[in-house]
Amino acid sequence: MEYNGAAIIAMTGKNCVAIAADRRYGVQAQTVATDFQKIFEMGPRLFVGLPGLATDVQTVSQRLKFRLNLYELRENRRIKPKTFMSMVSNLLYERRFGPYFVEPVIAGIDPKTSQPYIASMDLIGCPMVTEDFVVSGTCSEQMYGMCESLWEPDLEPDDLFETISQALMNAVDRDAVSGWGGIVYVIEKDKVTIRELKARMD
Amino acid sequence: MATSMMTSGFPNTEMFSDEFSRPDWLKSEVETGTTIMAVQFDGGVVIGADSRTTTGAYIANRVTDKLTKVTDRIYCCRSGSAADTQAIADIVNYHLNFFEMDTGEEPKVKIAANIFRDLCYNYRDSLMAGIIVAGWDKTEGGQVFTVPLGGMLTRMPFATGGSGSTYIYGYVDSNFKEGMKKEECLKFVANGLSLAMSRDGSSGGVVRLACITKDGVERFVLTGKRNTAIL
Repeated sequence: MEYNGAAIIAMTGKNCVAIAADRRYGVQAQTVATDFQKIFEMGPRLFVGLPGLATDVQTVSQRLKFRLNLYELRENRRIKPKTFMSMVSNLLYERRFGPYFVEPVIAGIDPKTSQPYIASMDLIGCPMVTEDFVVSGTCSEQMYGMCESLWEPDLEPDDLFETISQALMNAVDRDAVSGWGGIVYVIEKDKVTIRELKARMD
Repeated sequence: MATSMMTSGFPNTEMFSDEFSRPDWLKSEVETGTTIMAVQFDGGVVIGADSRTTTGAYIANRVTDKLTKVTDRIYCCRSGSAADTQAIADIVNYHLNFFEMDTGEEPKVKIAANIFRDLCYNYRDSLMAGIIVAGWDKTEGGQVFTVPLGGMLTRMPFATGGSGSTYIYGYVDSNFKEGMKKEECLKFVANGLSLAMSRDGSSGGVVRLACITKDGVERFVLTGKRNTAIL
């Protein structure tokens, strides 16, 4: 899991969610690129963050999108976040004895009820749904520490952005294989704001 | 078992055991992954290092000082195992104190470098230390000696070391010129270190520089914010 390195956090706020990731693509100690995508859009208000082995990050996001497209064609509607979580879990458990080395983080807003939703999963699909925040990646211990101290309930979108950004940036500054930039998606009922973080590039 | 591969600074202790459930700081030795440099100029030397110490992927110290004094005008740049290099520098400092008392004058840089070499060579199987020794003395002026992993000793006009140095061979080879002045040397070292820090996961933090001349040691810290640039 430490071969490529990654850091992802998702947090809930007042009628909004945010998901943030670092931007490094590296091979052990060497940094190869600083614009690697780890958060993927799966619906207008539904995003999945994939930390872990970079090749599996890309394969899982592509295969997930494939299954999602078929779902939307059959059902003729947008998927709910909690159904999507089950879809991801199923995809990962299918590979129970030869898993994908990713531990996804899901963040979204329910298309009907507008409830915020976040969840994370281990590499074989065990889901964990929380009310406050979820983290995943090589510096998860550092991210837990930051989130536990900085998060409070019912943050407005702009405050949530500040909180999740500080949590991510200070956690990756204590990890040698993640960082090199950051990107934050703040998802509200009517819009999604994408911001890039100016961060330490070491 | 902990100790890792050479200059990559990246340990591999957890294949196929239940070691993967323990955090890094319980499994891996403390490394100064590192980028270090030293350049000689007419009148002294400029030395520099990053400030990151890692235990596995965890950054144990992000403001480390890897430029260690062994005498008033001789410093060493440490890379490799943090414990090994600290112990070696302490022992060399001990020997040089005695030497100074015996001879009544400041030790030569060559002498300090030879003591480092003796330790690194004779205990080569037990140590993981890549050291650059640099300083000023009144007979030869500024000098840079490199003592890499097996305990070789060689004098060079400039030297680089540590896991991050591999990323800047092209930069140093194309930008080094004989006869650079002190300011040019400072820029050369600071740029080289910044470039290495942005590629190497085991290097990072702040750039620490020191300029050693007959007048003493002048230290700088570059944090990367524009207003701290001295150059």
